[in-house]
Amino acid sequence: MTATSLDRPFTVVSLLPRLLNTNGDAGNARVLAQRVRWGGRDARVVDVHSQADLPEDVDAVSIGSGTDAGLLPARDALRTLVEELRLWSNSGVPILAVGTGWELLSWGIDLPNGSVLEGLGLVAGHAVPRASRATDDIIVASKYGRLIGFENNARDYIGAEASPLGRVLYGTGNAAAPASGPQIEGLTMGEVFCTHLHGPVLARNPALADHLLQAAFSRHDLEYARAATAESVDDTARTARNEVAVRLGQDAE
Amino acid sequence: MRFVSSLRYAPAILIGRAVRLLARWRKPGGGSAIPGVVVNRIAPGFLAATLNGFPLGLVIVTGSSGKSTTTKMLVAVLRAHGLSVFTNQSTANISQGLTSALLEQVSLSGRIAGDVAVLEMDEGHGAFIAGSLTPRVVALTNVMVDQIDRFHDSEMVAALLAKIAARATESVVLNADDRYLADLGHDLEPGVSVARYGVTAEVLAQYPRGLGYADTAPIRLPVGTGLQLTRVAGRDADVQFATGVHSIRLPARGIHYAVDALTALSTAQSTLGDLFDPAIACTALSAMPAVFGRGEVVTVGGKTIEFVLVQNPSSFQLNVDSLESGTEQILVIIGSDVRDPSYFWPVDTSGLGHVLIASGLKAHDIALQLAYDDVSVDRIEPDVPTALDAFLALPDPVSGVKTIIFSADGMRRTRSHLGLVSNTEEPV
Repeated sequence: MTATSLDRPFTVVSLLPRLLNTNGDAGNARVLAQRVRWGGRDARVVDVHSQADLPEDVDAVSIGSGTDAGLLPARDALRTLVEELRLWSNSGVPILAVGTGWELLSWGIDLPNGSVLEGLGLVAGHAVPRASRATDDIIVASKYGRLIGFENNARDYIGAEASPLGRVLYGTGNAAAPASGPQIEGLTMGEVFCTHLHGPVLARNPALADHLLQAAFSRHDLEYARAATAESVDDTARTARNEVAVRLGQDAE
Repeated sequence: MRFVSSLRYAPAILIGRAVRLLARWRKPGGGSAIPGVVVNRIAPGFLAATLNGFPLGLVIVTGSSGKSTTTKMLVAVLRAHGLSVFTNQSTANISQGLTSALLEQVSLSGRIAGDVAVLEMDEGHGAFIAGSLTPRVVALTNVMVDQIDRFHDSEMVAALLAKIAARATESVVLNADDRYLADLGHDLEPGVSVARYGVTAEVLAQYPRGLGYADTAPIRLPVGTGLQLTRVAGRDADVQFATGVHSIRLPARGIHYAVDALTALSTAQSTLGDLFDPAIACTALSAMPAVFGRGEVVTVGGKTIEFVLVQNPSSFQLNVDSLESGTEQILVIIGSDVRDPSYFWPVDTSGLGHVLIASGLKAHDIALQLAYDDVSVDRIEPDVPTALDAFLALPDPVSGVKTIIFSADGMRRTRSHLGLVSNTEEPV
């Protein structure tokens, strides 16, 4: 560990990108690596399908969303990596899990036929079927700024009430608005971030990306600073977010 | 009472034609689906009765991708064999669009002069109207993870295609390299024959990213069990028929065009039976005008432009991968039809290298993706006419042609701004 450099490429693990990349969520790994590169450091994305693919050092982890047909093979593959996932989450390695990738980290997924697909039990809560699929833009007020994305959920998520990622301003999130209490989206646990915002959530919401990078850098006593290239790309992201916000009757940033 | 029954749809046909005249009068040059809406309302059986009434029956082409090109190729091959073919243009509202198209040619007895009908069907629409149709031949192109808003996953798409395939009275033509379609072929009714086509292991090995199918079948089609694509190089390809190998010239570069051609040839063979002549078929296919992307090469104000339509992540990827290297003037237009900006994120766009302008309602979203793929973007201009004018005003490129990559909405806006003849059956 040194105070100025890593002496090796910053390493982002993309978990099961063959099974869990329906919406391009695996691209979030690329977003983290690019932002590090723009800051002048070497960075790489390592696709991990099994133990054999694991790199020696891991700085951040991205898990995407898949189809229901792939749930069982994805769960079984993740199980072979459960010790590593536990180690990473306990040692502050930032982990982003999207959609079914998140659901597989939970206690389990209730399936429409009444059976339960047991999850890895790394985060609290479980997923239950929705009456109808929630497919729309979603806007969330969070500690990391107003997050804007797209959701496409066949299931609600129950049990994240104690530590959500944020409050839903538009859309569905973990479940439709409850009779009392706030309507919430996502789950956080330490540096583990789980969300329904699928696809390029980190590209569209760079404040969340930079939070993950700060967490990763601080493990090595390094400072993370946003690069100039990232600033101009982030302007594009803000315009894209504002386009959605204004269309849905919210203020532009 | 035969006279009465044969003129059963005459009033509806006459009313539909009158509505069509009115619609054309109101919007000169433009087609309209309104006559179709009217006729489908007053005579709901008209469409199915007419389509099922061709002497050589109805042929349906469906699947996630490649339907339009395959349909055009199939029509060209059938016409080269001397057949008179009724066919449709792709439209979002298929049943109304089709009815409107039929109204132009149908006699008052509800018949159309023609030997065979060839229809391109979207998997969703197909399942909706296929219940009333009895196609002789159904051709299935592939299952790709497509339009996630609408069809959640490949299982659902495969189930929709299976519904259409189950309507075939004589044969189902399918892509044996697509695992979902290969499986579907095993579950068909015994009386229906299955014609399989596929590429050789050598051809597949040329494409490390695969051919874009949701799931590629683990084994290739055994030699002698169906048409096989044995070679692809640029616009040239070889097809192995039972009687020998024939070479074809594709209308555009790209493995997807070669597979579309293979689908069209296999479907023509099933449709024509003993009348099918591989030499005639391959000559007709090779004589098709060159297209680039699914669109075409157009000349506007003396400038040559190549249009590339991207309809789903797979076609986007294949088009990026088959772009002529060194193409230095690229305009990308992604419109409101791509509702979910995540849609194209699985595509690796880095092969584009440098994009002059990102445009369309989703200009900023596609620019964001390009930036993370290390593609430099000179300008973001959401307004399509402004972007097109700026792009066309540039001097001709030193290498490659001016290339416009667009989504369907981007294509409509482009065609409209450049005054190009539009699809005649736009949804109203």
